[in-house]
Amino acid sequence: MIKKKKLPEATIPTSSMADIAFLLLIFFLVATVIDVDSGIGMTLPEFIEDVETVEVPKDRMAALLINETGDVLLDGQPISLFQITATLKPRIQSKIDLPKNKKLIVSLKTDRRTVYNAYIQALDQVKEAFFEVRDEYANSKFGQKFNDLDETAQNEVKEAVPIIISIAEPEKIK
Amino acid sequence: MKFEKKRASTKQEIPTASMPDIIFMLLLFFMVTTTLREVEVFVNYSLPEAKAIEKIENRRLISYIWVGQDGRIQINDSLVKMEEIQSIMYTKRQALPNVIVSLRIDKNTDMGYVTDIQQELRKAFCLRINYSANVKI
Repeated sequence: MIKKKKLPEATIPTSSMADIAFLLLIFFLVATVIDVDSGIGMTLPEFIEDVETVEVPKDRMAALLINETGDVLLDGQPISLFQITATLKPRIQSKIDLPKNKKLIVSLKTDRRTVYNAYIQALDQVKEAFFEVRDEYANSKFGQKFNDLDETAQNEVKEAVPIIISIAEPEKIK
Repeated sequence: MKFEKKRASTKQEIPTASMPDIIFMLLLFFMVTTTLREVEVFVNYSLPEAKAIEKIENRRLISYIWVGQDGRIQINDSLVKMEEIQSIMYTKRQALPNVIVSLRIDKNTDMGYVTDIQQELRKAFCLRINYSANVKI
């Protein structure tokens, strides 16, 4: 009688699986770039050949001028870059209750030689002013910050405090 | 009297059988979140800093324009000239009507240069732009 040979149990060695998985994990850890695209959003006006000029009442406009050395002029008054938010806020707030066509317009104009950084700093200050007013308005009306509101409430706040920033048409070089 | 040392009857090992599963879970997370860089940036730039920053929710809509310290402009994989921006961006806009143009411009660039780019974008009807900036702490 032939004795049946006892076969060893057939198994796949899994002890190295963790190592392989670790290796893959490390690769993806290194390759991952979690960089969120963030920045200051703007909408450009459409390009029209013949620009119509519309007169805007003076109290509705806040004209910001930045020259090539980075000095800021707000409605003809020299002002430091960091005061823009504080100066604009009361002016935006005073127009919350006014109808849509009477809200504050901030116009931003630069020289051709102005450094991009100065422009962004000024734009940042203006945006900051609008965001702070929005937050305060949302807080007084709904008791929450703007970002925590639901969509309908957010739209209501947007309606009351619209962000109108006009990038002035560049002047033609004569 | 004979004393016997008390020993716990449980095994004194950490079970490692489920370790691969845990690692795979982490692995899957990173695989899903990874976005591999599709384009190589040729220009050298450092972004300005700002506080009032918004995040762009939809990554698919973004199209980048880089402007380096030396004033070179890059779109997609290649360096382009100022006059070419309009036609390139116009084709992009036709493929993706609500494209957001993210401007990654070096902070020491002249505004005149930036305005020229913006004028080209306006001619190409790419009106939604985003000035890329780092968060100021």
